[in-house]
Parts: sequence; C-alpha cells; structure tokens
Amino acid sequence: MNSQPAIPVETEHQPYRSAKLPDVKLLMWVFLASDTMLFGSLIGTYLAYRQRSLVGPLPVDVFDIPLTTVSTFVLLMSSFLMVLALHAIRQNDLPKFRLWTAGVAIFGSIFLGFQIYEFVHFVNMGLTIKTNLFGTTFFVLTGTHGVHVTVGVIWLVSLIMASYIRPMSAKDAVYVEIAGLYWHFVDIVWIVIFTVIYLVEFV
Amino acid sequence: MAKGKDSAVAGYIIIALILGVITYVEFAIVEYPQEWLGRNWTMFWLIALSVVKFLMVVMYFMHLKGDDSTYTGFFSSGMFITMATFIGLTAMFILPRSVAATKPDNVQAGHATHDVPPDVMELVESDGFSRTPAARADSPRPADRSVRIAPPLAGNDASTYELNLPEPLTATDSDATTADGGDAAEAADAEAGTDTAAADTSSDTADTAGDAEAADAAAEETAEGPSEDAESVSLTWDTEMGASVYNMNCVACHQGSGQGIPGAFPPLADHAADVYAAGGETYLIDVMLYGLQGAIQVNGTTYNGLMPAWGQFSDEQVANVLNHVVTNWNEPPADFVPYQADDVAAERDKGLSAQDVHDLREQLGL
Repeated sequence: MNSQPAIPVETEHQPYRSAKLPDVKLLMWVFLASDTMLFGSLIGTYLAYRQRSLVGPLPVDVFDIPLTTVSTFVLLMSSFLMVLALHAIRQNDLPKFRLWTAGVAIFGSIFLGFQIYEFVHFVNMGLTIKTNLFGTTFFVLTGTHGVHVTVGVIWLVSLIMASYIRPMSAKDAVYVEIAGLYWHFVDIVWIVIFTVIYLVEFV
Repeated sequence: MAKGKDSAVAGYIIIALILGVITYVEFAIVEYPQEWLGRNWTMFWLIALSVVKFLMVVMYFMHLKGDDSTYTGFFSSGMFITMATFIGLTAMFILPRSVAATKPDNVQAGHATHDVPPDVMELVESDGFSRTPAARADSPRPADRSVRIAPPLAGNDASTYELNLPEPLTATDSDATTADGGDAAEAADAEAGTDTAAADTSSDTADTAGDAEAADAAAEETAEGPSEDAESVSLTWDTEMGASVYNMNCVACHQGSGQGIPGAFPPLADHAADVYAAGGETYLIDVMLYGLQGAIQVNGTTYNGLMPAWGQFSDEQVANVLNHVVTNWNEPPADFVPYQADDVAAERDKGLSAQDVHDLREQLGL
C-alpha cells in the first residue's frame, strides 16, 4: 500500500489562494472566460462563412467605416469612464461615482443607438438575417454583442439606483468592479469585432 | 492600489488616449490605404493594433495586471479554449481558401439576377437548389443511386431535347436499366426523367418502374436518332440548350456573368477559354462528368470548393453547356472546335474521381 495520501491536504501554511478572493469577482472572471468562448465561436463562424454568400448585399456594400469608428470610439471612452467610476467609489466619492457611471450608461446607449441605426440601415438596403450567409452570421454576432451591451446598461443604471436606496461606500467597490469587468469585456469583444469583421473587409 | 489618487487617474487618461489614437490609426490605414504598406502588412498591423488594445483594456482597465493570478488563470483558460476552437475552425474552413483573396469589390452583387429568368432565380434563392421544396418532396432522391433523376429542366420545352439525341446507345433493351448502371442506361435514364417530367409534372419521377418504362421509350427513340443526324458534323451547336443548362444548374455558383465568387467559386469567363487553349479540351469534359476536388489557382486566387459531377446530363447537354461556357463571355479560343456529344461519350467510360480530375489539371500546368 502506498502510504502517501493521494490528495494533498490543505495546511495552515499553504492555504488555497482562492480562499481569500471575493466570490463574486471570481465568478465574474469564470463567466467572462465562458463568454469568451461564446463570442469566439460566433466570430469563428462568421469568418468560416465569410465570402460564401451567393447573393448580395455583401459587407463592402453595407459597411460604413467612419460611422463604426465613431461608435467604437464611444464604447472605448465608456470603458475609460468605467474605471473612473470604480476609482471614485474606492475613494468613497459617491457623487463622482454616480456621474461617471451615468456617463458609462449614456455612452453605452449611444453605442446601442448607432447599432440600431446600422441594423435599420442594413435592412433598408435589403440585408436581413435570412438574406445570405453574411446576414445570418453578422446579425447573430453583432446582435449577441448588442444584447450584452443592453444588459450592461441596465446593470449600471440599477447600480446608480441602488446607490440612492442604500448609499454605497468603498467596501461595496467589488460590486462596481464586477459590473466594470463585464463592461470592459463587452468593450474588448467589440475591439475584436471592429477589426475582424469591419476593417478587414476594406483592406 | 499603491499609487496615489492623481497618478492612478493620470494613468487611466493616458491609456484612454492611447486607445483612442490606436482606433484612429486603424481607421486611417483602412480609409486611406497606404501603397507602401501593402495588403499583408496592413492586415498585420490591424491585428497587432487590436491585440494591443485588447491587452491594454484587460491589463489596466480590468486590472488583471497586478491582480490575483487566479483571475488570470481562469480568463486565460477561457481564452485558450477559444483560440483552440478558432484555430480548429480556421484549419477546417478558412485556410483551404485563399488568405489573399481578391478584393471583394470584384464581386458584382446581385449581378446574376440580370441574366437569369426570374423564376429560376426564385428557385435558386429559395434553397440553393433548382427545385421547389414541394417538387423535392414529391420526388425525393432514391436511396439507390444507380437510378438517377434527371436534372430539373422545368420551363424548357422537352421536345427540343428529344430532337437532339444523337449519341449512339449500345444497350437499348430493358435489361440495361436493371444492370449496374451502364453509361447508356444512365443517359437513357436522364432523358427518361425529362420525358416523364414533361409529360406530367406532377407525376412521381422517382418511381423506378415508371423510370424504367420511360427509359425504354427514350432508348428506342434514340436508337433511331443517329441515322438522321450522323452525317452532319457541324461546327455550330445548340446555343439555346447550352445557355439553359447553364442557367438552370451552374449559375448559382459561377454567376450569370461567369465571374464566380472570388474565394469561393472560380470564374469561367476567360478562364475556361484559357484552359481550353492550354490543351484542356478533354479535361473540361472530365470536370463536367466527374467533378473536381482540390485547391486550384485562378488569377492568383485559390479556390478549394467542390465541383459536383454532372454525369446525369446527356452527352448533348454536357457538350452544349461546355460550348456555352468556353465562348459566352469571351472570344472563342483560336483553335476552338465545338464539343460534340461524341466527344463527351468518349470520356464517359474513364471512371475518374474528382481528385483524378484535379491531377489532370495539374498535368496541364494550371
């Protein structure tokens, strides 16, 4: 018989590192890891079917790079406001937290406005989700991203509302932080979409 | 956060500025293409810049740099699985096609609709097949592939096809249809399908018994056919049949303009004539009869689709559609002699695979 235990026992000197980490934050990172896989497969599917549409409109017919660049910039700046909001709540600066968080929600809404405009514009040009492979994969991918942005905006607005019901302080910062993680994640997904879906069509 | 309040905010501002500048640079190199940069380097810098943006947001805005490594571990695992999925998808679907596909503005969107009868376009757009769902439900493909259903020729006057059946059929008795799919039997089957479809479009063309009977009838007709046509070897062909076979079956991929879809389906305009001029007369017949599988290069673009075999067409149909393809969008090659049904019949017993045809293409040096 092997005298050594098969499973290493936690000792006082070497505690599991995760034991001191906030559960919600760990959970958020795990969720983001899984969400990465969701978006990875949607982007991969889009690329697999790229240039395989039999009928138009094709990406070059409908994409408007200047417009999308502006909406990309808006989303990036909302991420910037998000770190300012987190910084403010860590400094116990509640008014500034509300200001920056409202800014994030507004910038996110502007981004959604661009996306709604873009979708309506595409449909008017004859591109719907069932027109061709481009339409199907494009609307599923950017639509899923848009849903994420919408959820983020609702989350941030509810954080602001919660701060009026029960004033938040630095010890609640982790709840702002996980909302921020989610928001930044939505931003980096768009960074990839902007390059891989939009820009490369015109190279 | 060991840093002071102001230095942290200053750091965020610098990051935000860099992100904004990178986004503008990305926009600029796409909107104002730089000749000296070249296409591949433009692509490289676009991807490199977005990776930089990605990492900056993750490290500084999401504070993964300096935070507990457990978070990095979880997120990296997710990224690793994502990249593995991505690489797998790329290997299966994207790499086989050209990375350096021609610029997509060569594609004339919707061009096909100008040349193709609207009813055909409707069918092609409905499901990519040239048959309505109802028609396919009416006559599904038989599990037994030795019985072939004729290609859909709805909208055509089938009588024109009956008049153009010069290929000499060696086996004309009914045994041929029950034997292991001899060439003559297949050709007869193909014609029989047309016959029955023309006689009554609602009849069940997949009915094997009906097929066999009709095949007999077609075989008898064709047995008489050659005696009338054999002497006249003309240099013209049935352009109407060539165009209609093309518009019924080929147009969905190769397009009404013969331009194909860059990166997906190769062009036929100019290219088919080039292949013919390069000594590919019989090769073109082989592509029709046996299909083509494997990567090919046309005008610097790689195509790796699958050309299906169209052996179910009659010799006459194959010959006419080839004449159409070689001459319709360009001047005929200098030494062009129109294909005759006999030329096609001579290739029928080669029994090639789609890969064999690809080897033939390489022998031509294309």
